[in-house]
Amino acid sequence: MKVAIFALVLASLIALGAPQAFASSQASFNGASSAVEYAFVAVQNAGKDGANVSALVAELNGALTLIQKASSENSTNPGQAVNDLNSAVAIAQAVQASAATVGQQGMAARQSQFELSVGSALVIIGIAIALYVYGDRIYYRLWLRMYGSHVVRKSGG
Amino acid sequence: MVDRDTAGLALAVVTILAVLVAVYPILPTNNEPFSELGILGPSQKIGGYPTTVAVGQEFPLYVYVGNHEGVAEYYQVLVKEGNQATVISNSTAANLPPVMTNSLVLGDNSSTTFPVTLSMSAVGLNQRLIFELWMYNSTTTTFDYTGLWNQLWINSTSS
Repeated sequence: MKVAIFALVLASLIALGAPQAFASSQASFNGASSAVEYAFVAVQNAGKDGANVSALVAELNGALTLIQKASSENSTNPGQAVNDLNSAVAIAQAVQASAATVGQQGMAARQSQFELSVGSALVIIGIAIALYVYGDRIYYRLWLRMYGSHVVRKSGG
Repeated sequence: MVDRDTAGLALAVVTILAVLVAVYPILPTNNEPFSELGILGPSQKIGGYPTTVAVGQEFPLYVYVGNHEGVAEYYQVLVKEGNQATVISNSTAANLPPVMTNSLVLGDNSSTTFPVTLSMSAVGLNQRLIFELWMYNSTTTTFDYTGLWNQLWINSTSS
């Protein structure tokens, strides 16, 4: 009788616990997917700001691989699946945090590039104008400096 | 001696070229953005695709995805099992549940090839394995069908 009661209680616990475990696992899947999506948006924005996001993309793919692994092992080893999903979330959150910094660096690099390009263009235009206006004078002065000491001799003398 | 007009013209040409070189890195690119989807055979080449397989028999294929959208993109490759009656176009995805989903993020101007192991579940001539490329839309926070798809025609037998 005691054994039967114990078995009944055990079966009830398992029956009550199983859907809960599935539910928490499903919530973990949704949470991991959302984390990757947030991280991706951050990475995409960092890329738009001119940052090199190849390392972040590789890390995001690592998180996606973990989610895929969790999906395949969920029916046989739900505990490991939850662990993998938690790892995927941690990676995605780290990527999201890094993306903000990388994006700022990209924006700064883009600003520097812009200033360098515009500055170079202005300098080139300035030199061109100076050459056009003072080119003759500069040329004659250089000519005089190079050949001014030369003495012209009468040929055949 | 070069006359002043010719010298001025040469100076202008050289100046324009030099300015173009200086500002080239910050000029906006006007390339048409696009993505790529390809199905490769077991030897990672175009060809050697299975034509007749038994139901449940696994066979390897490779999927190629390329990103030239100008930014990093988050893709999903959906594999669906259909038949001759399945409707799919560049604007409408097949109204079938995916038998496999592969998610991946690709940087701009990059591509990847990954293996998939598939099998057929229904017996029949002219069954179709349909591969669709979906792309994450950060505005709607959903995956949108890109209009890119591929298919393999397969005769699946009972044994």
